[in-house]
Amino acid sequence: MQLDRLKTGGRIDRTRPLNFRFNGKTYSGFAGDTLASALLANDVALVSRSFKLHRPRGIVGAGAEEPNAIVQVGTGASTLPNMRATQVELYDGLEARSTKGWPNLRFDLAALNDRFSKVFGAGFYYKTFMRPKAFWKYYERFIRASAGFGIAPTEPDPDSYEHRNAHCDVLVAGGGPAGLMAALVAARSGARVIIADEQNEFGGSLLSGSESIDGKPAAEWVNAVIAELRDRGNVTVLTRSTVFGYYDHNFIAVAEHCSDHKGERAADGVRERLWRVRADQVVLAQGAFERPLVFCNNDRPGVMTASAVSTYINRYGVCPGKRAVVFTNNDSAYRTALDLNNAGIPVVVVDCRKSGAGSLGATADAAGITVLRGHIVSDVIGRHRVSGIRIARWDGDTQSTFDSTIRIDCDLLAMSGGWSPAVHLHSQSGGTNAWDETRHCFVPAESAQANVSAGACNGHWSLKACLQDGIDAGAEVAARCGLRTMPVELPVTTEGTDNPMQALWRVPASKDPDRCPKQFIDYQNDTSVADVRLAAREGYRNVEHVKRYTALGFGTDQGKLGNINGMAILAECLGKTIPEVGTTTFRPVYTPVTFGLGAGENVGELFDPIRKTAIHERHQAAGSPFEVVGQWHRPWYFPQGGEDLHAAVARECLATRNSVGMMDASTLGKIDARGPDVVEFLERIYTHDVGRMKVGRCAYGIMLREDGMLMDDGVMARLGEHQYYLTTTTGGAANVLNWLETWLQTEWPELKVYLTSLTDSFSTIAVAGPKSRDVLQNAGCSIDLGKENFSFMSVQQAVLAGFPVQLFRVSFSGELAFEINIDSAYASQMWQILMESGKEFDITPYGTETMHVLRAEKGFVIVGQDTDGSVTPVDLGMNWLLSKNKDFLGKRSLSRQDCVRDDRKQLVGLLSVDGSTVVPEGTQLIEDPGAPKPVPMCGHVTSSYFSATLGHPIAMALVSAGHRRKDETIYAYLADNLVVPVTIVSPVFYDAKGARQNV
Amino acid sequence: MFLIQCPWCGNRAETEYRYGGEAGISRPKDPDALSDAEWSDYLFYRSNPRGAHKELWNHAQGCRRWFEVERDTVSYKIARSYKLADRNSESGS
Amino acid sequence: MSDSSRRLHGLEFFLRSQQRPDTKASGIHARILDDVTHVNLRGNSNDAEFNRGVEKVLGQALPVEPNTVSIRESHIYWLGPDEWLVVSKAADSPGLATRLENTLRNIHSSVNDISGGQVTFTLSGENVERVLNKACTIDFDAGTFKPGHCAQSGLAKASVLIGCIEQSRTFELIVRRSFADYVARWLRHAARHHGIEFR
Repeated sequence: MQLDRLKTGGRIDRTRPLNFRFNGKTYSGFAGDTLASALLANDVALVSRSFKLHRPRGIVGAGAEEPNAIVQVGTGASTLPNMRATQVELYDGLEARSTKGWPNLRFDLAALNDRFSKVFGAGFYYKTFMRPKAFWKYYERFIRASAGFGIAPTEPDPDSYEHRNAHCDVLVAGGGPAGLMAALVAARSGARVIIADEQNEFGGSLLSGSESIDGKPAAEWVNAVIAELRDRGNVTVLTRSTVFGYYDHNFIAVAEHCSDHKGERAADGVRERLWRVRADQVVLAQGAFERPLVFCNNDRPGVMTASAVSTYINRYGVCPGKRAVVFTNNDSAYRTALDLNNAGIPVVVVDCRKSGAGSLGATADAAGITVLRGHIVSDVIGRHRVSGIRIARWDGDTQSTFDSTIRIDCDLLAMSGGWSPAVHLHSQSGGTNAWDETRHCFVPAESAQANVSAGACNGHWSLKACLQDGIDAGAEVAARCGLRTMPVELPVTTEGTDNPMQALWRVPASKDPDRCPKQFIDYQNDTSVADVRLAAREGYRNVEHVKRYTALGFGTDQGKLGNINGMAILAECLGKTIPEVGTTTFRPVYTPVTFGLGAGENVGELFDPIRKTAIHERHQAAGSPFEVVGQWHRPWYFPQGGEDLHAAVARECLATRNSVGMMDASTLGKIDARGPDVVEFLERIYTHDVGRMKVGRCAYGIMLREDGMLMDDGVMARLGEHQYYLTTTTGGAANVLNWLETWLQTEWPELKVYLTSLTDSFSTIAVAGPKSRDVLQNAGCSIDLGKENFSFMSVQQAVLAGFPVQLFRVSFSGELAFEINIDSAYASQMWQILMESGKEFDITPYGTETMHVLRAEKGFVIVGQDTDGSVTPVDLGMNWLLSKNKDFLGKRSLSRQDCVRDDRKQLVGLLSVDGSTVVPEGTQLIEDPGAPKPVPMCGHVTSSYFSATLGHPIAMALVSAGHRRKDETIYAYLADNLVVPVTIVSPVFYDAKGARQNV
Repeated sequence: MFLIQCPWCGNRAETEYRYGGEAGISRPKDPDALSDAEWSDYLFYRSNPRGAHKELWNHAQGCRRWFEVERDTVSYKIARSYKLADRNSESGS
Repeated sequence: MSDSSRRLHGLEFFLRSQQRPDTKASGIHARILDDVTHVNLRGNSNDAEFNRGVEKVLGQALPVEPNTVSIRESHIYWLGPDEWLVVSKAADSPGLATRLENTLRNIHSSVNDISGGQVTFTLSGENVERVLNKACTIDFDAGTFKPGHCAQSGLAKASVLIGCIEQSRTFELIVRRSFADYVARWLRHAARHHGIEFR
């Protein structure tokens, strides 16, 4: 039974009843309801327990500002925590739970906190749980269990979310009277318009009232405007779409909720859509929030904002009580009194102003409504539900209170403390706000970006003023877009005259503010007047500090109801004015958004690009696991018959050293550099004498950052007098090209050099091992591969197996080796041909792991593994690469004081003394295991493997002053306090003379 | 997210660009003639002003050109952007 | 031509793994082009000799207006003030690059055949822009992004070159080879509600 449903009225569809469950009980509502309106229709007053004190709480608002009715909607993987019941559209089968209250709402054990609330004042957590320090881990568990607003699902999200980038001339945030008017004016001027509103239908405040426009119900006017906007090809109309973030340069984020209101997955599977809008101009028309009044026990279920009560009556056909009191300091709440009266609910108005209201006051009197002018509500009676109030006479001029004993029975208290424009987006955009002394609110002042605020959002309360402000805003932004607007007639509305609001930030109580029943400012965070006063007494002066000390303004509602009251009360405590105290910073997001919305479609295999070489499919077919290097997926090793990593790598290493191995090295960066000044240019980049290279020769080159640290390395080849072919590390390819272009464009534009990336165009296959020459010969090679014709470190063009290739005689394994550069369109075939040609030598494909072992046996470094951006070539023992004949980038830094310290970490080899322990990479090295803790560290292991070729582990390390400490024993400090002695040796473990590669 | 005008490609989203830090830092002609302190000044020290700031941006995902932008470090407003070749003229827009 | 000498764009496996093609009326038609010739060209377009040489080989002038593509025998994309991409449907690799290089031999310029390093898609269908705008910040408004217009930008987490090449909202999408599989998978996923078929 929907006990509190009115007989008629509302925008609900009474022919479509819907069943839903709340905290395990089944209720029914109608299509068009929100969860909140349906709960109120079912006379459910108690919806949650408060955050800290676990006081019983009911629904206060009717929109984004709702602080109490925070629910968990749905079950399983699609469940959503942190939902405001006022913004959850009802659907059949909806399942929701309170996110607070244990074991159940009516009997909440933690409500004992309220009994001892004196100890739960501001800063309670800070003061109590700091000591003893070791106990924090126990405290934390308790706090986390008792705080928070719901549970995040742990299953993978079954829904999909999408992003959409959009561009427009004018974005209108908010579809109330001002926003609609602005959109209409801008659209008629020909502007590309996007209008977004967070609700399921347009109209904003018009949906909650009973006003008429042009002599007809306002809804008809709204429908006509929307119809025209939809008809125009230049307007995108978005409902259920919250403009939640205003970022730099008019970049606006909008969350469109596509399917949650249906309670089932949408046909196209999209649950939410993130609109990333770049707008030339923005109209901000998000309306205003009604402020609560701050009086004793103002948090009891049944105390609501007046506008929310009107919304429930007019929009949802629900009256949340049977006997009502309206408590106000301004005229707008008289409309609520009239709405209640029209709905047949007895109502008394308590107005703190001696003069009462303007024309609405006369209407109320004429309707026979009792209006107690010059009165305040001093306390609320009832715990789980309002059962009555106490009132007192109050003189606003002298601020004095008299006789506080009169009691009025009621179960609904509608309050209005005035209105605060929703300046959130304006503030997010960097705009300033100014305190308006007559309207008692912050209104937008200076805009920091291309936007205009309009309507209630701009401090206008009357419908006429809002419509006019919308027209003006629409014309203004269209003109800024260079468009001509046609005059638009102001729709006809009926307007009364209002009396000024009376500022009443804290309602006087019978006792002093620190001893009286709690007067709440921020319901969601249980922040009361006493807490703010305590913070002020303890020395907090800055509003941002008070916010963090008292939690005022945190949570899902971000202080939409409480902030202004809180700041005004703080101002009173500090003896300052409200503008002197100022507001806290408004930041995105306006209302909570889901993680799914942020992730969009960048999930699963699309989370990050998987770059594949031209031979990828063959590696996959061969069963190779892949190692991610940058975004590349490189074959890691090629297991045979159930081999693990170590067995496969040992086999691959031995095969390469003893016969022939082959690897896909296509991920190396490749750059074509040419032009008359290419030698001069490369001389300045690389450390060695580039110009001395003869055409057809290769060289190992390194480049430094200007601070002298190793940046990248690779083999380069001189292909012509004015043409070089540069290779880079896999991860460094993009950076190196950018680095070279940067110097050419910014410092040396006079150098005639062109660079082109060839990384993807050419694939590289390395064939290494004593039999590598035979493999190429078997495949059919157009050139003589013998040492005399094709010596080590040279390059030649050739035709291999019928394909044109660029053949390099270089080696990263220390063996006789060839690197075949081939058009990527043929690389896959070439791999297969070489596998066939090498069959008689049992050619063995190997992956990155074997490559690492082979190069470590030779003492070759890997940039980014053996270096970390703080290592110079001198630290690596590469002095032989540093030309004395020229300047190059980073050279000057090598003689900086810090770079010539004699205790710098230097590259060395390490051998485990026990001959068997493979010390994990990253292990810290120490000199004296007996030293008192913290033990000083003298270095760390950068590379470490078991060498199958040598039959023992090898490692590379950076060790303080390592170059002059050969044969010393130091210690590797392993996990579990295990200490392993290691001996410092040369990092070249195998074939130190380099005989094997030079055959 | 900024909207930055590439002098060639026009207005594009910040995600297409790479930031290059303060503009107008030239590499010293003869590094060896500098003291450690002078060299460090070139290497590490930047002006970091509050307000107008000339900085380098590269249209990394577009034409790959470097150019200069005059941006307010408080309001993030971009006053103008111009090609490096135009850095000494006021003709940039 | 035997199979082993056929040029591969690398998405053969992706195409084979394509599930039941979904061809709704509003669907998106994606083609992965075979045997396209791509030549990267760098030079000074203020140098008349350079321009003449290029025009002699290509039969069309280089576009000098940023973000435009010259659509004739070849599609010549403006990539930067001194850089262009020549896309030829004729299977002419490395012949085209060789001819250009020979003609420009004595002019400071750079010609590189990068056919094997890039993958060319064409996309058509009424929702193409909408799909692209899921993960690309370019404004594809038909009023401004017309035939002959192109842009280098990001699509999801890959760098792409997109050109409008026909009145019927047909787009050419060019990506680096190593990113092509990612981009194809992204397109297949992003366009799934519209129906997408790769050929």
